[in-house]
Amino acid sequence: MDHLGFLHEMEKATGEKISACYQCYKCTTGCPVVADMDIYPHRIIRHIILGNKDRVLGSRTIWTCLQCTTCSVRCPNDIDVARIFSALRKMSVREGRAAERDTWRFDEIFLESVQRHGRLNELGAILRYKIDKKDLFSDTKMGMGMVKKGRIGLMPHNIRDRKGMEEIFRKAAETGKRGSGEKE
Amino acid sequence: MTLTYYPGCSLKTSSRFYEESFKAIFASLGIAYRELDDWSCCGASAAPTIDELLGHALAGRNLALAEREGDHFFAPCSACYNRSLITNARIREDKKLREKINAMLYPLQCTGSVEVKNIIEVLHDHAGIEMIAQRIAHDLSSIRVVPYYGCVLTRIMKMDAFDDKEDPTSMDSLIWSAGAELISWPYKMECCGASKTLTSKDMTFELSSRIMDMALSLGADAIVTPCPLCQLNLDLLPYLGREERNVPVLFLTELLELGLFGTLKGTGSHIIPVDEIVKKVKGK
Repeated sequence: MDHLGFLHEMEKATGEKISACYQCYKCTTGCPVVADMDIYPHRIIRHIILGNKDRVLGSRTIWTCLQCTTCSVRCPNDIDVARIFSALRKMSVREGRAAERDTWRFDEIFLESVQRHGRLNELGAILRYKIDKKDLFSDTKMGMGMVKKGRIGLMPHNIRDRKGMEEIFRKAAETGKRGSGEKE
Repeated sequence: MTLTYYPGCSLKTSSRFYEESFKAIFASLGIAYRELDDWSCCGASAAPTIDELLGHALAGRNLALAEREGDHFFAPCSACYNRSLITNARIREDKKLREKINAMLYPLQCTGSVEVKNIIEVLHDHAGIEMIAQRIAHDLSSIRVVPYYGCVLTRIMKMDAFDDKEDPTSMDSLIWSAGAELISWPYKMECCGASKTLTSKDMTFELSSRIMDMALSLGADAIVTPCPLCQLNLDLLPYLGREERNVPVLFLTELLELGLFGTLKGTGSHIIPVDEIVKKVKGK
């Protein structure tokens, strides 16, 4: 019981009624990657209710999640479990507790590409991620194959209204802190 | 009813042949559309992960542009469809959120007036299974397919989906109207792991392999999907190191292409070869 305000904080951030969970395990039994999780999804929810903030923010589970939302649509109490995991990711990054950095890093690179061009520059984003990871050559064969088949966008495409796009990102940076939900 | 086509990044880059395919069948079925001018990325799963408001604003920008054009916003990519549908609904129902988003989009304004439609809905609403069945000129009856819907098309929280969220059938009837043999299977909605292709290859490989194995075990000749992320992920299996046999992964529009024209425009873009499937098409 290290942080009783945690439940309120999470309910406010997500707009989800997390306290409605009665531990039916449906989220956990439907999860396609539960074998790779350190804490089962239904237990994450229970930890939130009990205020065990540290256990939850440091867990690998929130990063293993694929956001396939099977858990969310099956919840008999209409709790969007996947969205809660997404909110926990934001919080764990904000508080420097993230158990895994790759997923977040790639999403950041993805958005930087959209900010710059208005659309995703596939090759540019993949290369930046690989340079970041200092792992430029591990998938060369796959990359070459995809290029040959025309399955990677090679050149960036710039939209005309790049000023408008820049504004969206500027205002987002102003209003929300990165790592916040729409309710905050 | 005007149809505004929102391609999203995939249909102009990694899945260009999906665009070619749907354009060919739309021309044949007489479905008119206009591409949205100066569209931008919907934010995909990346934007809401990092900042939900930014995610809504990115999807909202395209919806705002489309509101000037007409009433139907057509997004063939399942992920674009999902993001646009959710943002559109949130803009409609939440005044405070709408004002926040519109402040970010200014001078553009989004009111939520368009209807967001996916490829399955457009085929049903603008052509219909009777018309498709009448136009089919080639015999697909020796092609056995499994329908693969993927995660994000129908798993939509807090609102009704266009089909059953866990056991959708809307694509089944389209496949059936094209004359292919439809196999019922338990992996209609199983996740392919698309969100981890780059960051956790092993996990994606395992999930996608499982789907391919199930299709093989049922004797399917092809997996049919409307989603460019699912298609790419499953099609990548040989590159991800899978040594077992694979069956081709066709877009829904490609199956209709086979039925209408007997050929495929995008043969060269498939990583898992599609020649065997094309050979199975017979004249009527």
